[in-house]
Amino acid sequence: MKTKLVMMVVLLAGLAAIDRPALAHHGAAAFDMSKPVVLKNATITEFLWINPHPLIKADFKNDKGEVEHWTMEMGSTVSAQLLGWTRTTLGYGDVVTLYVWPAKTKLPVGRFNKVEFSDGTVMRDTQTGADDGRRADGDVRQ
Amino acid sequence: MRNLYTGAVAGLAGMLVLSALATAQNAQNAPQNNAPKSPWKYYPADRAVGDGGPAPKRDLSGTWAGPSSGSGAPRQKGEVAPPLTDLGKQLYARNKPIGKFSPGGTNDPHSRYCDPFGVPQNMTQEIRGLTIATTPNRTFLLLQYMDLWREIWTDGRSLPAKVGGRDRDAHDPKYNGYSVGRWEDDYTFVVETTGLAAETWATKSGYPHSVDAHVVERFHRSTHNDLSLAITMTDPKLYTAPFNMGEVYFRWVPNQQLDDFTCIPSEQQLYLKEMGDPAGSDPNEQNPQGTRGGRGGRP
Repeated sequence: MKTKLVMMVVLLAGLAAIDRPALAHHGAAAFDMSKPVVLKNATITEFLWINPHPLIKADFKNDKGEVEHWTMEMGSTVSAQLLGWTRTTLGYGDVVTLYVWPAKTKLPVGRFNKVEFSDGTVMRDTQTGADDGRRADGDVRQ
Repeated sequence: MRNLYTGAVAGLAGMLVLSALATAQNAQNAPQNNAPKSPWKYYPADRAVGDGGPAPKRDLSGTWAGPSSGSGAPRQKGEVAPPLTDLGKQLYARNKPIGKFSPGGTNDPHSRYCDPFGVPQNMTQEIRGLTIATTPNRTFLLLQYMDLWREIWTDGRSLPAKVGGRDRDAHDPKYNGYSVGRWEDDYTFVVETTGLAAETWATKSGYPHSVDAHVVERFHRSTHNDLSLAITMTDPKLYTAPFNMGEVYFRWVPNQQLDDFTCIPSEQQLYLKEMGDPAGSDPNEQNPQGTRGGRGGRP
């Protein structure tokens, strides 16, 4: 029985280790994956549908009334398409709420988590789009 | 003890249920698209069903989805590196792989500049789609990533004996080297390559190779819809034993169409300027990709 219990604990530990947030092109060490920054009512200034990662650029007015210029990266274009993203999903002037895993450098850059549109629709990142920073879709690789 | 065991089983069941719920939730988040499908478009969600029957004999021709294509191809097996020689250790120490240093700190020539992977790395990294085309004397590998093609001679010639160096009769090293292929049996096509440009990395994790590296790729088509590729590199200057570079798995693409996906230097520089470099790097990170298929495997 003891052996079975040990095996079960090992199995559970293995399952828990699967699918942790680790980015395809680079490690997640540059980002604080513990809690996303929420950029409420941010204004999209540019959506760059580029490789290796599309970039979302947005202006966000903080509590002090200062405008912060944020840049965040997504998973690759081909994977993002699997979740419904296109090069026109975001556009200049869109007002949305962005969730971002911030860089540890404290600069206004980060790994994209999800976006909430004004109609309540939510679009997520491929690799770090779940609310806990895991993949939004287990089949999407990078 | 029995309660502990029962608790562990319940915990496992709970995790599986939560995982299923999360997947369902995410599926709901994906927008529905009922637009008619185009023969010109790659649909990664359209996947070959089952094994498709027996593999045809001595035929790999067609378009295949790799593990990074988003099409559900099985994940690859990672590399297992052998011990390095002293020279190998020196060269390896120069390389700062992106898995450990992130874009802000790596000197990976592909991650910084879109430099060619070269063989063997272009058969283990960014394996998205692959088309194989066969002519009477050559087989071509057409890789989706980087719009890259490789030429494998099947006319019975030998590999060049002298590549690199200053001799007048030496051939120049090439990113993809010089390749010959032969059928080992009706379903296994073996490719041998040498004469590789030494400035490329053998692996994303930063392992080097020399111009004299000898790479053996074994393509095995087990069914109509399943293709595998096992890679081994022998390079006695840098390694004390053969380097098992892992195994990559492919699935047949139903409409035989692939997308465009490449590393574009201008976009890469924009990405690094706007995002990669400001995000910084953490050299203390313990190579997270070493725990995932296709990367890692320190000696």
